[in-house]
Amino acid sequence: MPSFWSAALAIAAKDMKIEWRTKTAFASAIVFAVLVLAVFYFARDPTAVGALDIAPGALWVTFTFAAMLGLNRAFMLESENRAMDGLMLAPISPSAIFVGKFLGNLAFVGVVEAVSLPLFILFYDLPIVGQLPALVGVIAMATVAFVAVGTLLSSMVVRTRFAELMLPILLLPFLIPPIVGAVQLTSRILSGRPLSDLAGWLKLLASFDIIFVILCFFLFEATLEE
Amino acid sequence: MQPVEPALKAHGVTRKFGHRTVLHDVSLAVSGGDFLMLVGHNGAGKTTLIRVLAGLLKPTAGTVQRSGATGMVAHSSMLYDALTARENLAFHGRLHGLNDAALVQRILEQMGLAPHGDRRVATFSRGMVQRLSIGRALLSDPEVLLLDEPFTGLDDAAAVIVREVLQDLEQRRRAVVVATHQLVEVVDLATSVGFLVGGRLAAIEPVAGRDAHAVMARYRELAANA
Repeated sequence: MPSFWSAALAIAAKDMKIEWRTKTAFASAIVFAVLVLAVFYFARDPTAVGALDIAPGALWVTFTFAAMLGLNRAFMLESENRAMDGLMLAPISPSAIFVGKFLGNLAFVGVVEAVSLPLFILFYDLPIVGQLPALVGVIAMATVAFVAVGTLLSSMVVRTRFAELMLPILLLPFLIPPIVGAVQLTSRILSGRPLSDLAGWLKLLASFDIIFVILCFFLFEATLEE
Repeated sequence: MQPVEPALKAHGVTRKFGHRTVLHDVSLAVSGGDFLMLVGHNGAGKTTLIRVLAGLLKPTAGTVQRSGATGMVAHSSMLYDALTARENLAFHGRLHGLNDAALVQRILEQMGLAPHGDRRVATFSRGMVQRLSIGRALLSDPEVLLLDEPFTGLDDAAAVIVREVLQDLEQRRRAVVVATHQLVEVVDLATSVGFLVGGRLAAIEPVAGRDAHAVMARYRELAANA
């Protein structure tokens, strides 16, 4: 019997290998991210709206919807040829399946964000070199929260007829708290506000991370039942 | 002498989907060395029974006990099209705690797929996928092997390979349950036959030298009296 972590890492590595080979979700997510950033950039009247006013919202709209393309794909992989049955037949805990899929999704969204972030900085001409570590930290914290919920809901909707439509409908209400927190933090970081100004939102975001990851970890097994 | 504990035991298994009862009060026991052939028309409940016995579906009522590792071959291959045959087997091996390239190679050879080990499954014919799926189920050398229509899509040469695999399992005293319409392929291997009529296990009888025609005649007799 494999250890919890070796099973989880095998599942994550398998997902990344398949994505690396097919690039289906990655290509769509990157094209989508570039498109959204460009639309926001050209829609803004620079004489009326400052870059700092629109940039945090544009960043999180881009990340959220681009990530959703990957989250949708995560369990589609397991529904093709009923591969999920193969995972369930293995002597591993359902939680290991969740953690594996979660880590795979985290890697996918992380790469999409890593590609989109420089474009975002370029489009909005933001002098944020000093604030970059803080911004990356906030992005990482918010990503953990929405990938955890996205992984859980993706496993729930994959057996429905309109899975790709259902995921955003179910996921977006759960994303409001962490995304609002992330937008607020991003806005403050980009404005160069002191760290003491961020503490409240950071605590809130950290709380969402802990609550969402723990809840999703324990609820996942129930989503596997037919 | 101590009685042999069955490798697989189902007691009073009922399975409903909504208001529809697909399995009614099914009880059976299969020990190592037993080869149970399940016979039934389409919709008789064979696939549902196999999935319940594998633990992929929870029974609505009743219990299923398995004494060891369980392998399963279903209508769907549980394989990933984007991975090669070797990668698929290696991944499933890792999920069973087996990180063994030699084992993967041996299974590929046993299933007649060694020359195609580094080809993606997406390029395989239906019969090759079926053989690889059987190889996947054999990876962990399971105590119980459940097969749902294992001869689907196989040409004569491939069917011979699968029959050899089944013979080998029987000689090594594994418990085998096969649901099939192609009785002629397994009737001489089976030790007993279960007749599923409308979701009920109408009878389990020794094969006792009967051929496929005699088995079907008995099935029609039981179905007429049901």
